Amino acid sequence: MSRFLLLLFFLVSAVSSLYAADQQLANPRTMKFPALTFHIPKAERVLLDCGMPVYLLRDSELPIINMTAMIRVGSVYEPAAKSGLSGIVGSVMRSGGAGGVASEKMDDELEFMASSVESGIGSDMGTVSLTSLKKNFSRTLQIFGDVLLRPEFSAKRLEIARQHAVEGLRRQNDDPKEIAGREISRAIYAGHPLGNVATFDSVRSITRQDLLDFHRRYYRLDNMILAVSGDFERTALLKELNEVFRPVKYEAALLLPNIPQPKELLQGALLYGKKEVNQTVIRMGHLGLTKDSPDIYAVRLLDYILGGSFTSRLTMEIRTNQGLAYSVGSHFDIGRRFTGSFVAETETKAESTGKTIKLMKNIIAGLTKEPVSDDEISTARDYMINSFMFGFTTPASIVTQRARLEYYGYPDGYLEQYRDNIAKVTRGDILTIARKYLHPDAFKIVVIGDAAKFDLPLESLGKVRELDLKLNIPKP
Amino acid sequence: MNMKRFLFLTVAFILFSTPLHAATLEEKVVEHTLKNGMKLLMVERHTSPTVSAWIRFRVGSVDERSDERGIAHLLEHMLFKGTTTLGTKDFAAEKPLLDSIEVTAQALMGEKAKREKSDSAKIAELEKQLAKLEADASKYVIKDEFFELYSKNGGTGYNAFTSRDGTTYLISLPANKLELWAAIESDRLQNAVLREFYTERSVVMEERRRSYDADPESKLWETFVAASFLTHPYGQPTIGWMSDIENLTRSKAEQFFHNYYAPNNAIVAIVGDINTKETIALVERYFGMIKPGKEMPPVTALEPKQSGERRIEMVAEAEPTVMIGFHKPGITTPDDYVFDVITMILGSGRTSRFYKKLVIETQLATEIGAFDAPGNRYPNLFVVSANPRAPHTVKEVEEAVLTELDLLKMAPVAERDLQRILNKIEYEEARRMGTNGGLARNLTEFEATTGSWRYMTENRAKIAKVTPADIQRVASTYFTRENRTVGFITKKGGDK
Repeated sequence: MSRFLLLLFFLVSAVSSLYAADQQLANPRTMKFPALTFHIPKAERVLLDCGMPVYLLRDSELPIINMTAMIRVGSVYEPAAKSGLSGIVGSVMRSGGAGGVASEKMDDELEFMASSVESGIGSDMGTVSLTSLKKNFSRTLQIFGDVLLRPEFSAKRLEIARQHAVEGLRRQNDDPKEIAGREISRAIYAGHPLGNVATFDSVRSITRQDLLDFHRRYYRLDNMILAVSGDFERTALLKELNEVFRPVKYEAALLLPNIPQPKELLQGALLYGKKEVNQTVIRMGHLGLTKDSPDIYAVRLLDYILGGSFTSRLTMEIRTNQGLAYSVGSHFDIGRRFTGSFVAETETKAESTGKTIKLMKNIIAGLTKEPVSDDEISTARDYMINSFMFGFTTPASIVTQRARLEYYGYPDGYLEQYRDNIAKVTRGDILTIARKYLHPDAFKIVVIGDAAKFDLPLESLGKVRELDLKLNIPKP
Repeated sequence: MNMKRFLFLTVAFILFSTPLHAATLEEKVVEHTLKNGMKLLMVERHTSPTVSAWIRFRVGSVDERSDERGIAHLLEHMLFKGTTTLGTKDFAAEKPLLDSIEVTAQALMGEKAKREKSDSAKIAELEKQLAKLEADASKYVIKDEFFELYSKNGGTGYNAFTSRDGTTYLISLPANKLELWAAIESDRLQNAVLREFYTERSVVMEERRRSYDADPESKLWETFVAASFLTHPYGQPTIGWMSDIENLTRSKAEQFFHNYYAPNNAIVAIVGDINTKETIALVERYFGMIKPGKEMPPVTALEPKQSGERRIEMVAEAEPTVMIGFHKPGITTPDDYVFDVITMILGSGRTSRFYKKLVIETQLATEIGAFDAPGNRYPNLFVVSANPRAPHTVKEVEEAVLTELDLLKMAPVAERDLQRILNKIEYEEARRMGTNGGLARNLTEFEATTGSWRYMTENRAKIAKVTPADIQRVASTYFTRENRTVGFITKKGGDK
């Protein structure tokens, strides 16, 4: 400890002497900076009496406590005929009353304390979160426990949630960007639960019993991880958590469905949806990789160079040099449980649609032909390594990140070795993984706009399949 | 350096601070004003070795003349393009080309402005010349060098935004790199070069298509706000109408820059792992010698009192949505505090009146919210926005909203409802100190729009004084038919 203090003292005095000695204004291109030591903050991991792992990080800067439960559940567990079920479970857990407290009373009690408890289910994770002033934590925690474990799914609130889902479907083709986002995901994950979308029929078929069954199956103490940060007192907190999450004997062992990985057919497709707009929405992509691949570090650098920064190849050419778009980029969404995706996206005026699609494909293909430049890889590396500390700026983000790593089963030392792994990637590695993971000829391409105004007939880019955007609209 | 204080900070850095009571914002903010008028606000936070630096200029689209609409925002884009030394390989060689580009581009715009009487051969020739000149000039450009420098050094969130009220430039950096920010930003303020202007103007047109033209709800919003203001520039979209953008020139942008981007119009907030004394010295060293500019003149246009309901319909390939607006006074006026309370009672959270009535009880709407817009410095609008739930109509939702507004006039609000609002504000006071960027944003925003960041700390006491009678009076004064504008989407081919 004392050695660490000394080190810091040295660093800070180095800063002040530098300022004192150098009264000249420095050149941003050649500027030197005082050293900065960054230690990755740790969170404490504790097991509750019931066996649930809890990550803790105390910080009393603000009189606030944050908490998140991560539950091993997700929309991938929905039967296709009940698409939309998990979203409704997540929302009605909170809105439909819990633990004997009716909806209206819970809303009133929480909002009077300025506390919040919210619940939701994504594709591969369910969360229930809490924020509260320290002084209201105990009562908020009880409500949190009720919402998580004892939701009542009031029939009235289920009906409202169902109506909202129906209204959402009715509105799902209003914004061209929303259409394109949905359709590229459906095309990439066709035949896999990740490619399923809710329909009027699937939403209408959902019953209260479906909600109860879905919740009972997954929301168990042996199927979740907690993360707590903020202004708590450790002993008192653990005592309270052990009371709220008392050990439970379950009749049956936890059984999680076995969902297969999506299959990549490497078969291109060109999907077109008609909207009478002056700008075309363009999305293209295919499957990518999972976090378990050793290629993820090279892919992170490739991402930055190709479409993940303001000076990336896609942005530089399509936006900065040619003024064809405001927003353009690409991203490997590295899958955690399932194979992730690669998607490139932009929007351009109808009259430059064909030109822009070709340009994007060419720029992406370029990465598979020649190694990136020394400048490109060193800028990407410097950015990744020097900005790493921004993943740890709030106690809540630190503790949630630790819990997520356990939730998704990242290897020990993942964070600690991250920067070294980034530093090791070579230009050759990037060329190799570009060839392995980028297949422009097999892109699913989604184009939403007004083809009559395009610069090229869409057919000149491939065989067009037109999307029926009325498909999901019920008769009034 | 004060040794005791230093040790305290060091310990805090390691263990996360553990003071007996959480310090209030009032205790944490350090203010410093440079001789040239630049205002510096700082907060030391040692949670992580990072720092956020925000610069806010007290100039937004509300300050544009009618022939400048869109220039504040386009200039914001252009200020990413470098200076006489950054972003260029050889400015002396580049400059004559930039001058020729400007002459050619203006000639081209002049010809195009003749519309159907324009000479198409002349246009083609000028376009060819312009493309050639731009290609020649681009040989000297180092593309996006500001971004590249910040990025290599681990900077994140490098961005800017323009609103009716102001323009803000932001970045977060590792704490040892703050001098890079000072060097780049002081250079930008003094020596900006608006290179690649006409390509960037095309980017802004794409931004307009993306954010407004192709998004029905945003398009309705833009039309609704424009219809609400006849005279005051708050009615004009910040991005400008398409024909405005098409006719903006680099000369106009430069003029706007020289008129308004001066240290006396700038507010800087630096929040994070800093030492305030050293930070003041750093900012003085880089910004202290910059000469002050002209005082910002206030907008003189006054919106005439509205004397009847305005209804705006937009037919679109989209489901119905409705917006209802009422003119009201701007921020820091006594009635604005009452509107803060009204906004929360009607529209904040699951206990709000709109949510309980329209979403849960009658189920006329799936979403409903209340807010004020489009700016704060000048008189603005109180707006209610809702999505009807089919088969319910815009008209049904509109009537239900007006009924709730009438209820505010007739019956006093319960004490518990007022207390809930104060509790919420107490929580927000604590929460907003939790991130460097969020705090820097609030400090610059409120310093710029209200005259002092202390608005944030004094707000709760002001709101605590609002009485149920005040709410009834304000509701009766402003929620009238004469003062109302209604905008709505009718589905194309629909019968409603």
